[in-house]
Amino acid sequence: MRLLVVEDHATLAGQLRAALEEAHFAVDVAPDGEEGHFLGDTEPYDAVVLDLGLPVLDGMTVLRRWRAAGRSMPVLILTARDGWTEKVAGLNAGADDYLAKPFMMAELVARVQALVRRAHGQARADITLGRLVVDTAAARVMLDGAAVRLTALEYRLLAYLAHHAGQVVSKTELTEHLYAQDFDRDSNTLEVVVGRLRKKLGEGMIETLRGQGYRLAAG
Amino acid sequence: MRSLTLRLALLAGLWVAAGLGGAAWFVTGIVTAQIEAALEARLGAVLDSLAAAVEVDAAGQASLARSPAGADFEAPFSGAYWQVTGPDGGVVTSRSLWDQSLPAASRDHAGVLLRQATGPRGEPLLMAERDLLLPDGAAPLHVAVALSRAATMAEVARLQRGLGLVFLLLGVGLVGGVVLQVVVGLAPLRRIRRALAEVRAGEREALAMPAPSEIAPLVTEVDALIRQNRDTVAMARTHLGNLAHALKTPIAVLRNALEASPPAIPVARAEAAALDRLVQHHLARARSAALAAGAAEVAPLALVEEVAQALRRLFRGIAITVQGDARARLRADAQDLTEMLGNLMENACQWAGATVTVTIAAEGDTMRIAVEDDGPGLTPGLAAGDAMARGVRLDEAKPGSGLGLAIVRDLAALAGGSLELAEGAKGGLRALLVLPRRGAGATSGAGR
Repeated sequence: MRLLVVEDHATLAGQLRAALEEAHFAVDVAPDGEEGHFLGDTEPYDAVVLDLGLPVLDGMTVLRRWRAAGRSMPVLILTARDGWTEKVAGLNAGADDYLAKPFMMAELVARVQALVRRAHGQARADITLGRLVVDTAAARVMLDGAAVRLTALEYRLLAYLAHHAGQVVSKTELTEHLYAQDFDRDSNTLEVVVGRLRKKLGEGMIETLRGQGYRLAAG
Repeated sequence: MRSLTLRLALLAGLWVAAGLGGAAWFVTGIVTAQIEAALEARLGAVLDSLAAAVEVDAAGQASLARSPAGADFEAPFSGAYWQVTGPDGGVVTSRSLWDQSLPAASRDHAGVLLRQATGPRGEPLLMAERDLLLPDGAAPLHVAVALSRAATMAEVARLQRGLGLVFLLLGVGLVGGVVLQVVVGLAPLRRIRRALAEVRAGEREALAMPAPSEIAPLVTEVDALIRQNRDTVAMARTHLGNLAHALKTPIAVLRNALEASPPAIPVARAEAAALDRLVQHHLARARSAALAAGAAEVAPLALVEEVAQALRRLFRGIAITVQGDARARLRADAQDLTEMLGNLMENACQWAGATVTVTIAAEGDTMRIAVEDDGPGLTPGLAAGDAMARGVRLDEAKPGSGLGLAIVRDLAALAGGSLELAEGAKGGLRALLVLPRRGAGATSGAGR
């Protein structure tokens, strides 16, 4: 899952990146509204954390432009303005959640995870696919009730496939959602990671459709 | 047309010009008609005496038994002429015509023909002529008399000049009077403007000046506004001071906790939470301070709908129903009302099983807004008053600072209303917000 954080306060942006990466998200950070708007408009993010008081272009304008252009990724507004008037304005402009500063990092991460789940139509934090359970809140994977040790990239890939269980996911789509923007993308790495996952989860769990992509059995 | 003086002067000018113009036209018309009637009367008299004096001999030659009276008719080209045309076509004229004749008139008309003509010297004439059948004659005679109009025309022109001058002076005087009236009438407004400038410059406390009865209420209102602004600023300053002082202690504890080795993380965390609460508390109070200043007519139903629309994005499984009269209005600060509604409705959504209902009802002087959910309701043993106490959270598992209901209660009290918590029809919580419809200060009648 790949996230965009639009936040001009460098320290806070760093803390957000660290916390979200720890929760196994790939994170891009934009320091102002204009760059944030450009990234959100051109890259396929699974969710966005958007500050309202931004240089160059304010957050409300960024949000309105995305929505007007048909960009429908879930957006969480993170702002110091905690009045209900601002909250109502933000939500009615197309935000999916609203968190006022100061906030607890754990709450922000939980809310972002909930937004991503909701965007994929999942109400519960854990996705059960037959013998496999992916707990997206704790970033844990259980096979037949036993925990499976995965690297960050392996977990990210599996979680993305789990969110799209039963659907064919192309390599391009996977690459776009697994890596942050400045990451060196290599589709061979993807095959290596899928190979390692098959070893850990057993053959037949992840299906390869030649020329199309991968599919995780829906249970 | 920005200037009141210019507007009134132009309007007055328009009226005066129309009125005086009409009067001048009317008076000139009457006098001219009289002057012309006098000329016509004299013309008629001469024509009659001429007709009485005319004789026709056996050959049909016309002649006059006696010359019609008047020296004018003897002096050449005097402007007074007569002319008789006999049945034979022979013409007898006054001496004044000399060797000329009057322009021939048609002969086929009954009675006296009155018309304008041009005399031998090009002078304007009024001419009266008629056919005359003598008792012993077979064919008619034609008799014509003409008098110069030059004198009457000059008289009319003189009259018009005189009247025009008089009316022009009168008009200028009237418009000038209006301008003077406006300038003098608006003088108190100019004085108030100067006084306001002095207030802004800090040279004077308030307007507090005598003013005509039409403007006195304005002065009173402006003074009330100045006082209210000053109070608001003073209150904001007090709040800011309070906040700064309240923050100092937790900051001191926080710094000490962080500088200790090893840093006392639990203490720091608790103090950070305390700082957060202090800021929230003071922000809420600062918002309410603006209450009196921001009050305006608002439609609560529209605000509730807006908040409901926002909450539907946050709580997708909860059906939020809004009912009530869309025309209902109350005097309140829209931001404060949104704050109260947001807190109450979010609280209801967090606890609801599936539905939240908001009902708006205007009853007499109060607006009653009920927010009801189908959740577990108030915990038995916990009084409704405790639920509203600052920082008390009914369930630590639900997100929120625990300030929501306390903020609503404070804001409601500041608006002259109240918040009541009770068990709803479906067993959930029913929060009833009662607000005065005419605003917080309506009953005290402050400043009147």
